[in-house]
Amino acid sequence: MKPLLEIKNLETRFYTQDGEVKAVNGVSYSMKSGEILGVVGESGCGKSVHALSMMQLIPDPPGKITNGEVWLDGQDLLKLNEEQMQKVRGRDIAMIFQDPMTSLNPVFTIGFQISEALLLHNDMSKKEAKDRAGELLELVGIPGAETRLDDYPHQFSGGMRQRAMIAMGLSCEPKLLIADEPTTALDVTIQAQIIDLVKKLQDELGMAIMWITHDLGVVAELAQNINVMYAGSIIETGKIRSIYKETKHPYTIGLLGSLPRLDDSPGTELMSIPGLPPDLLALPNGCPFAARCGYKIEQCLTEKPPLVEIDGKDHAVACWRWEDIAGIKSK
Amino acid sequence: MAKISPEEIIVTDFAVREHRSLWGDAWGRLISSNTARLGMFIVILFVSSATFSHYFWKYEPKKDLDYSLKLKAPNLSPNEEVDSIHIFGTDKLGRDIFRRVVHGGWNSLRVGIVAVSISLFFGGLIGLVSGFFETVTMTMVERLVLFSITGLLLGALSAWVANQIFQLFLYAGMGIAAGYYQDFLKGKTLRSIVFGVIGFLVSGIPAFFAGITVGLVCGILGLLSGVILSRPLDGKFLSNSLMRLMDMILSFPGYLLAIAIVAFLGPGLGKGMIAIGVVGIPVYARLTRSAVLSVIHKEYILAAQSVGEAHGRIIFRHITPNILSPIIVQTTMGLANAILSAAALGFLGLGAIPPEPEWGAMLGDSYRYLASGAWWAVLFPGLAIMLSVLGFNLLGDGLRDALDPKLRT
Repeated sequence: MKPLLEIKNLETRFYTQDGEVKAVNGVSYSMKSGEILGVVGESGCGKSVHALSMMQLIPDPPGKITNGEVWLDGQDLLKLNEEQMQKVRGRDIAMIFQDPMTSLNPVFTIGFQISEALLLHNDMSKKEAKDRAGELLELVGIPGAETRLDDYPHQFSGGMRQRAMIAMGLSCEPKLLIADEPTTALDVTIQAQIIDLVKKLQDELGMAIMWITHDLGVVAELAQNINVMYAGSIIETGKIRSIYKETKHPYTIGLLGSLPRLDDSPGTELMSIPGLPPDLLALPNGCPFAARCGYKIEQCLTEKPPLVEIDGKDHAVACWRWEDIAGIKSK
Repeated sequence: MAKISPEEIIVTDFAVREHRSLWGDAWGRLISSNTARLGMFIVILFVSSATFSHYFWKYEPKKDLDYSLKLKAPNLSPNEEVDSIHIFGTDKLGRDIFRRVVHGGWNSLRVGIVAVSISLFFGGLIGLVSGFFETVTMTMVERLVLFSITGLLLGALSAWVANQIFQLFLYAGMGIAAGYYQDFLKGKTLRSIVFGVIGFLVSGIPAFFAGITVGLVCGILGLLSGVILSRPLDGKFLSNSLMRLMDMILSFPGYLLAIAIVAFLGPGLGKGMIAIGVVGIPVYARLTRSAVLSVIHKEYILAAQSVGEAHGRIIFRHITPNILSPIIVQTTMGLANAILSAAALGFLGLGAIPPEPEWGAMLGDSYRYLASGAWWAVLFPGLAIMLSVLGFNLLGDGLRDALDPKLRT
């Protein structure tokens, strides 16, 4: 089957006064339609920037997409100009943002903001759009949806606003929904509700979802595949089970080790990864993780490891020593 | 214990607060402040007296002349010397000052509104555009519009210099062509040289035959426009050049620039309005731009972009309503400023053409008689200026407090 989304060697740079910030460095992967992909990594590793680059929403200047192709359903998005891109956004790709408090415009009603995308991309009258907005609000589980269309964002709670944002994102039934840390600003119970909602909606509508987060617990519940990003590159990718059970990259091992587990015996200390992520202004030549890695060898400091497929497992890792590390771990 | 059936339970809507709109809230706060109330009272008095007197109390300044009543002191009842009532006295031509002050208000109001509208429209547009495109890529259509406007303006300028109308169209055409070839010609150095030379030749050579000075000016303008057209016109460049233009206007002392514009256009109330309006443009442009920059990085703008909305819609539907309050405040204050500037121009004889009643002109006509004791001819127009300016300033102050979101509870 042809993949829905195929990203090839995407590179994004920010030209600032201090120099060139290498935010995304040659990211390549593909997504099938109906797949839920989790993109994880710490702050500043390029997960949001690569998603914004796909939609060409990088502030320009200072940002620039310097290389790469983004194929969505047979067209290269990076070749489209701004007018053509405006037709793609919202209709083919939609996005949900992190902070529901600021991602709704305070001066418009919820109903207006949801129906806006509908009016833009479909041949609909205002009345039809409003009715559809009501249905969408109903779908995302807001009680009394019809009556709340004329409410302003400040009359909604955080969880309800995030639901309204999801309704906005779903309004044109996009093929791909990018969720940029949509649960980070919410408390845990609401978080669980939103995750359930997204799962349910995905079952019903069948779109592909890219879930960007730094929370490994959330993706474990939701995603089928995971991309682990570090300093603007993908360092490990694969099926969720194989990432969690047969972790290969030392960074991913560290990430998983730093999570508390229910079955740990009391008193077990959590692992931590020493050091800080590299300065994106001056990336090292070798593996970006080498400075913090306990397994590094000479080669790690001079050559950047490519993402290599592990035979027959749908699992790829960018590390020179993954085979050795797997050996050390099993001992 | 008595049993209660489910039907008997009254569900109260406990979580719903009475709906208050932003403007309702702001109005409530405005009304609760004493100074704002005073300001509002003065402004309403000023606006209504000016408007009603214009429509219901006709005054023909050209026929108003009575030497027998020259420079009479204010009287509240007819006396042996003056048989009519002049509560503000009369001026050097025997005209009733009260009547002229009230009718002068109409002129001040007109100047204020028109001048502020000019500054607000152009300044606001410049601010919105330069603030928005600072970080957003322009589309081809927007580039074309921009190129054409630049070409048309430069063309108009040099055409005006050379009195050769055809250049205007030539530049517009060149702008459009440059827009189309934006992506076609990649060699930027070559392109800028080519366009510079073309610009120079196109406007310089025909103008050369019209006269050497004119030819020189046209050549320079042509070169300038050629260079501008050849630039890869990204948003940052646009924003920068617009703001530097605003800095240039702002670097002139305001009154001096207004006087220069009036001197160039010729005296008259209408031209005074244009002059005051042009002087005010950079203030609004800067204010609007800074307000745009403060909201452009909010996620709702990104969200609007990510559902595929066009730039114009984002600017006017999403950004503008969010930056209204500082602009409303500035507009109110700007009205006071415009009235003051109009009075200053009038005082210098560059505003309203006499005998049209205008506060500044009335002051300018009468201050010579102050030494001979005719204080009323100066005091009352001066008071009118002071009070109206005070009223607008107080109202603006009150509005600023009322619309400040930090004070909202």
